[in-house]
Amino acid sequence: MFSEFLLQNLQEFWHLTGFYNATWQHLVMLVVGLFFIWLAIKKNFEPMLLVPIGFGILIGNVPFNTTAGLEIGIYEEGSVLNILYNGVSAGWYPPLIFLGIGAMTDFSALIANPKLMLIGAAAQFGIFGAYMVALLLGFAPDQAGAIAIIGGADGPTAIFLSSKLAPNLMGAIAVSAYSYMALVPVIQPPLMRLLTTKNERVIKMKPARAVSQNEKIIFPIVGMILTCFVVPSGLPLLGMLFFGNLLRECGVTNRLAKTASNALTDIVTILLGMTVGASTQASEFLTSETIRIFLLGFMAFVIASASGVLFVKLFNLFLPKSKKINPLIGNAGVSAVPMSARISNNLGLEYDPSNYLLMHAMGPNVAGVIGSAVAAGVLLGFLA
Amino acid sequence: MKKRLLSLLLVTLACVMAVSAQGRRGLRINEVMIVNDSTSVVDDFGQYSAWIELYNSTFAPLEISSVFLTNDRNNNTLYPVPLGDVNTEIPSRQHILFWADGEPNKGTFHTNFTFTPGEDNYIAIYDANGLSLIDEIVVPGNLLPGQSYARKADGEGGINNPDDWEVRDGSEAHYITPSSNNIIKSTNNKVDSFAEHDPHGFAMAVMAMCIVFTALLVLSICFYIINSIGASISRKRKVQALAGDSDEIEDHHHEQDSGEVIAAITAALAEHLDAHDRESTVLTINKVRRAYSPWSSKIYSLRELPRR
Repeated sequence: MFSEFLLQNLQEFWHLTGFYNATWQHLVMLVVGLFFIWLAIKKNFEPMLLVPIGFGILIGNVPFNTTAGLEIGIYEEGSVLNILYNGVSAGWYPPLIFLGIGAMTDFSALIANPKLMLIGAAAQFGIFGAYMVALLLGFAPDQAGAIAIIGGADGPTAIFLSSKLAPNLMGAIAVSAYSYMALVPVIQPPLMRLLTTKNERVIKMKPARAVSQNEKIIFPIVGMILTCFVVPSGLPLLGMLFFGNLLRECGVTNRLAKTASNALTDIVTILLGMTVGASTQASEFLTSETIRIFLLGFMAFVIASASGVLFVKLFNLFLPKSKKINPLIGNAGVSAVPMSARISNNLGLEYDPSNYLLMHAMGPNVAGVIGSAVAAGVLLGFLA
Repeated sequence: MKKRLLSLLLVTLACVMAVSAQGRRGLRINEVMIVNDSTSVVDDFGQYSAWIELYNSTFAPLEISSVFLTNDRNNNTLYPVPLGDVNTEIPSRQHILFWADGEPNKGTFHTNFTFTPGEDNYIAIYDANGLSLIDEIVVPGNLLPGQSYARKADGEGGINNPDDWEVRDGSEAHYITPSSNNIIKSTNNKVDSFAEHDPHGFAMAVMAMCIVFTALLVLSICFYIINSIGASISRKRKVQALAGDSDEIEDHHHEQDSGEVIAAITAALAEHLDAHDRESTVLTINKVRRAYSPWSSKIYSLRELPRR
């Protein structure tokens, strides 16, 4: 009798274990999670993002008995992971990250040379090019919009928009967006070499003028009002971005700016990365749609980078010789800050060791952050 | 003193605006049935009474207790929606039903007035002050028993504008929808519209790129203007500082010394002459007086006081 009782309980326990509930899909996802962690630790690809996401994938794909009502899964209402996931599903983590980005970003390069903002706008064509291809592949307009935003190379924006337009695709979109952001150093340089001539790569740009503190203070205020008046649906992202920047530049809220750019951003990044990773449960993630999303994301990224470079070349046709822009900073129109600006700089140095493009590239780079938030607002306004 | 007054005025203005924004302006009369002839819904007591459907057209929950319902143009405060009932909070974009049966003792949602069949019936909602009209409508007298008078689209249209309303007889095309949407949406209209009219996404790409470019172009132009104003102010200051020698400023302006050039010159001077430039900056040290108070002493460590 006692042994029967013992066996029955052990058998029930066995049915609850991950070993009993594991499927090949779980194992595939665990390998994906480990691959992300390896990329982050060994290859140093965006470790701040890929470590939380990779470990989140491991957490989200530990097999368990979903019918046992254990309240542990990320999609089970009331579970701890579900509560943490609310920031993603309700879309309030991304604006907090934007607050931190605003508090970290120096917009001087952009203020000193406002025409660089247009490069940030041009690079957003990647989003809408990918939107057209996504429609061709059979996605509905709202899903296509959510996938296309990967082209903005902005993880928080991608999460924010997909949580509103296509919540079921959010895991794949977020992982795709962050993966391509990590792969910026691999994707962009060959494309930049392909689209530019040797002469163009050695164009030297005039150093940016010094920007006064008053201008730096006016920028976030005017920027928020103007951009949000044009696209009010971008308010959560743009409002927080410019607010964070005002905290940084006004000079009297240093403590708040420091918290927003350090502690707050770190906390939200940890939670966002981990829960996004955990949301990629095998049953939701391993579908043909995910593969198509990754393909579209890659294409969006390529189009965005190429449009930035090509736009600079086009722009140069109308600029006097002394004011020509080096097209190597065009790739920085995507909002992978500051990674893509660093790539412009490195590539520029490769062809002319005295040509430092970093500060020039930071202009379109931060304009890309604003541009992708505006683009997300446009898609939200049209499709939500 | 002036600053304080100005701040006070601004705060008051902000509060007034906030209160106004939080009012019940989004509450709408959405559908009305004057004679409920047993083809429609029954109340909690099994009675077929006339009903008024109210709709919260905002995207936030709306608490409607102490709002007034009336069918008398001369009495704005005929039926106050009672306080203390949790059901008087209407969720965003949702409905609530009132029974116009003249029996308020039956509960919160039973008004103390009834309608007169065969005549035009006036219905209005007034805010808690009894003066601010929120919505009103005149239901035409030619409504047959079992017919309702409803907004064509939930909460949409103006106040007392018959063009936004229609008679509904319960047929397939004109169904009656107490406590439900007047238009039942199974899909997202915007998405459907894009899927139908822009299957390749070209229109979206053109429109969206135009908007993105416009937003950043406007910002860019704005900062060109701010740049030139800033440059002009800074030039004026330099002229003043050099006692009006504008030619010198002009020459200097044209040279456009870059940071790199200045850094190189400075480094060279420091290296070879071991020289220091003479700073024109005047450092002023003022004693900061802060009145001590046991109530505010801790605050000093939490935040900085505004500069006078």
